[in-house]
Amino acid sequence: MQTATNLAPDAPDLKSNRLTLRYVLQHAGIGLALLILVIFFSIASEHFLTAGNITNILTQITINLILAVGMTFVILIGGIDLSVGSVLAFAGVVAGKVITLSGFSDGTLITMAVLAGLGTGVICGLMNGLISAWWGLPSFIITLGMLNIARGAALHVADARTIYSFPFSFEEFGSIMIFGVPILFLLALALVAVAWVVLNFTVFGRMVYGIGNNEEAVRLAGHNVMFYKVGAFAICGACAGLAALAYMARLNISSPIAGIAFELDAIAAVIIGGTSLAGGRGSVLGTLMGAFIIGVLANGLILMGLNDFMRQMITGLVIIVAVIVDYYRARFSTT
Amino acid sequence: MKFTKFIAAAATSVSLLATAAYADADHPKVGLVMKSLANEFFQNMMVGAEAHAEKRGDYELLAVGMQNETDFESQINAVNTFITQGVDAIVIAPADSRAMVRPLKRAMEAGITVVNFDVALDADAKKQQGVELAFVGPDNRQGAKMAGDALAAALGEGGKVVIIEGNPGADNATQRRLGFEDSVAEHGLNLLDSRTAYWETEEANTVFANMLTANPDIQGVMAANDSMAIGVVQALEAAGRDDILVVGFDNVPAAKALVGEGKLLATIDQFGSEMAANAIDLAIDVVRGGPELEGWVRTPIDLVTQ
Amino acid sequence: MNAHTPMTAPLLTVRGLKKHFGGVKALDGVDLQIRPGEVHALVGENGAGKSTLIKVLTGLHFPTDGEITFQGAGFVPGQPQWSKEAGIQVVHQEFNLLEHLSIAENISIEALPKTRWGFLDKAEMRARAVQALDLVGLGGISTQRPISSLGIAHKQLVEIARALQTDSNLLILDEPTATLTEREKDNLFQIVAQAKARGVSVLFVSHHLDEVFAHCDRVTVFRNGRTVTTEDIAKTSPEAVVAHMVGRHVDHTARETRAHDLGAVVLSTQNLISSANTTGHGVSVEVRAGEILGIAGLVGAGRTEFLRAIFAADTPAGGTVQMDGAAVSFHGPRDAIDAGIGFVTEDRKLEGLILEMSIAANTSMVNLKSLFPKGWMAARTEADQAATYGRKFGLKYGKTGDAAASLSGGNQQKVVLSKWLANSPRVLLLDEPTRGVDVGAKFEIYKILRELAAEGVAMIIVSSELPELMALSDQIAVMSNHQIAGTLERDSFAEEAILKFAYGQAQ
Repeated sequence: MQTATNLAPDAPDLKSNRLTLRYVLQHAGIGLALLILVIFFSIASEHFLTAGNITNILTQITINLILAVGMTFVILIGGIDLSVGSVLAFAGVVAGKVITLSGFSDGTLITMAVLAGLGTGVICGLMNGLISAWWGLPSFIITLGMLNIARGAALHVADARTIYSFPFSFEEFGSIMIFGVPILFLLALALVAVAWVVLNFTVFGRMVYGIGNNEEAVRLAGHNVMFYKVGAFAICGACAGLAALAYMARLNISSPIAGIAFELDAIAAVIIGGTSLAGGRGSVLGTLMGAFIIGVLANGLILMGLNDFMRQMITGLVIIVAVIVDYYRARFSTT
Repeated sequence: MKFTKFIAAAATSVSLLATAAYADADHPKVGLVMKSLANEFFQNMMVGAEAHAEKRGDYELLAVGMQNETDFESQINAVNTFITQGVDAIVIAPADSRAMVRPLKRAMEAGITVVNFDVALDADAKKQQGVELAFVGPDNRQGAKMAGDALAAALGEGGKVVIIEGNPGADNATQRRLGFEDSVAEHGLNLLDSRTAYWETEEANTVFANMLTANPDIQGVMAANDSMAIGVVQALEAAGRDDILVVGFDNVPAAKALVGEGKLLATIDQFGSEMAANAIDLAIDVVRGGPELEGWVRTPIDLVTQ
Repeated sequence: MNAHTPMTAPLLTVRGLKKHFGGVKALDGVDLQIRPGEVHALVGENGAGKSTLIKVLTGLHFPTDGEITFQGAGFVPGQPQWSKEAGIQVVHQEFNLLEHLSIAENISIEALPKTRWGFLDKAEMRARAVQALDLVGLGGISTQRPISSLGIAHKQLVEIARALQTDSNLLILDEPTATLTEREKDNLFQIVAQAKARGVSVLFVSHHLDEVFAHCDRVTVFRNGRTVTTEDIAKTSPEAVVAHMVGRHVDHTARETRAHDLGAVVLSTQNLISSANTTGHGVSVEVRAGEILGIAGLVGAGRTEFLRAIFAADTPAGGTVQMDGAAVSFHGPRDAIDAGIGFVTEDRKLEGLILEMSIAANTSMVNLKSLFPKGWMAARTEADQAATYGRKFGLKYGKTGDAAASLSGGNQQKVVLSKWLANSPRVLLLDEPTRGVDVGAKFEIYKILRELAAEGVAMIIVSSELPELMALSDQIAVMSNHQIAGTLERDSFAEEAILKFAYGQAQ
């Protein structure tokens, strides 16, 4: 029989599935697009490829990248989370209220605020997940509800006012640079790495892809589909909380009107990064690329001196083109 | 988004029901139509109006706020509801300076005293509809010019500045930009760039950081509101630039603190918390037989510096 | 060219037709000739290429190679519309009716009549519907009834009426009797005879040789995408046709004497009522270690639902399941799996596999957590497991990292078996385990199942292929209307006996 030929290819299989040429090629489309943008802007503006501007870009994509990492989990599982912008605001004002309490040391306040911000995000995410998974309702609608609930809660908690005057050490933390790289971006990058490991090397990640592809097959294989779905939403909520903390560290305020329409940029980053809106296919590395494309575009077009309205039109066009390119990429890579 | 509008409409009707009451000549009913209460400025104004109503005690306040800055549909619904309820006066900060003219005309035809504050209704639209209506409010253009002048005085002639604009299309955003531009022209400043950051801190932070990269020689920044000025100040700190001066507008507490620290050169106080209360006073005077208001009743503005 | 053909020139001639999907040769050069006004049977095992041929003829698939002559002229199918205009009408296995529209609307849906003003001409539509329904003996029914209010047999008659209303030259019936009662079948064949009398040719695709021999003029046999033979019904026998269908593999369906002894009862059900069962009476069966219990029955008899009830894929409406003599209560597939049950579902693509994921990932889908109890996966371990089963089952694949979608149907089914066996089940439920599987792989799967039985695994197999059930089972329970209509022991297996029970309560 052909057992011999069957066995042989298994040795390099471990890697060929994950790290080697095919994997790189799958991401080449989006990486190439980013490269073209970078080259184009480098020629168009002398300021683009400068250390200071690269630092700027890294700062500017951080919040969207954190949100988009969480969004990747939800979209991979076949859902969507429209509430992340509002949850960012809510988690931000909760953390802001906590961090501006009096009578505690700075260290205590910061610890409590981080827990409060993350906790708020996780709770909102859990609610999104539990409600949509328990009743089997489309997450589009449930998170649309949460978009309003969290925004209202943020305005209510903050009494519609901006919260400011955080502990000095917290404000300083947000502006730390390591060799010109903002520490907040490094943290976001670490988050990408963790998400990548979780998605590729853990049972949880396998289930996220499995459910996105074929929920019924996963259920019949004896797995608790609801647990993983709720987990994906909780991760997305935690990321919104984390993004809120990054927002506070960067701008030294928390605002109940922060994050309006941030969900759209996060979804755009995920989709541009090649993750399928239908779920089951995609990668958080693609999301990283997607966030870069959006950030580079916003930055580069301003440096070129394009006016606001042109800028908006071009950004929209790029999103559409990226998705069309991905459509063909997906078709060629599957057959 | 339709769904949001639905919630807004539902919230509007509920709050109206809750405060519904009966007409009384000596105890007039005043309907206050606000813009977005998610905006700190209008939130303060609302709180000021409620405190004012309690203090005066001789009129009844029915107040309605909107979901967002541009939600004029809810405002139209609120005006119509007030007409049905038979209020004596409507005091309104219009969300759209054209769309609100027609419903307000209906209110006036129903014998209701209408006072327009905060943002002036569009002059052409008023003429077209045959509406004569005074405007009570600050001169945004003049206020912006005051802030711009303060910046110009610090920089001197030829100073290189950029403008961070508010929402494109919003009337006060336009007025403030024009005021900044007046100042630029009068003092011979060099305007390098002018962009919108949609009134938002994070957006202003991003947009300004990029403008600074493109124009590292910027010396001064005119931000059309304090939220955006805060974002600009953070961008300057991140870039390690303490040589650039910033002016804002609105005098919100967070900005006032920055002025105190010297990080913000100046901001403009238009006494927002009193603005609605003042307009209500004027409306009640007319209801009680005082003379009709005419033209532009200017409310005070003040430059806030260290 | 064929001077010896009696009667007139053939209506349809297919020569050397090929249709390849990637590396899969669904049609590998088939020939078929249909004469005007004849009822021509097309038979072959699942995967022999019957459905593919129909899809090519009706314009759903573009052929890879070959030539088709229709009514004396070359015919290139490519669009469903072209085939319809040529007069080729098909009634598919799955209905193509719009459930919420009326009978009249469905019958005219392909060319809705319009009035002079461009409005829908409802009177004309109704008239057409009445005329078409008359052709199938449904004259009395209101044309305004929505399709959803009709039973399955009536739906099929509406489909046939729709196909016959236009001047069709060739009517293709794809497995038309699978869901019909005897009386409904008689009615159907009467309609076929009438159509034939009007000069319409009928291509009759069926698994049921008795029907073929009772109602058809000639029969063509397909095997593995090729034409084996075309014979006059009068000059051949069912045995000869079966031999052509099965080819060299005929011996594999022969019953083998079981060499191992049966153990104790592992799983039993007591009056188990599936969620779809509204009769109030459930199913009681028991299966011993090493035993294979076959479940026969018609589509709709509740066989799949029964398996799903055991596995708690759907919550049963009543009754109990016992494992080793003790009642168990499963709250979902997880509980059933923990108790040692595996379930090879009927729909491999929708329920069995995650097609876009790798063979390795699919193989470890069930035992993933026990394979990696700490939650961290090791790709090596997973690949090794898949390779082990690949070797054991003679899986034809490239790498264990390839997507399951890249495999042929039979190999996909082997992966499904692998994933359940990786969890070392004591009981395996199999629903149509060889559906859409090519003949070679089919016998390999039989071999695997026999080996499992020898190792002591208890199995319940639902299958619509009686030769398969009779070859594999120690005992066959026949279901009808959600109940056991009869049970046959191995020495009394016979198609007629099984069918008698299957139709028992349907009449």
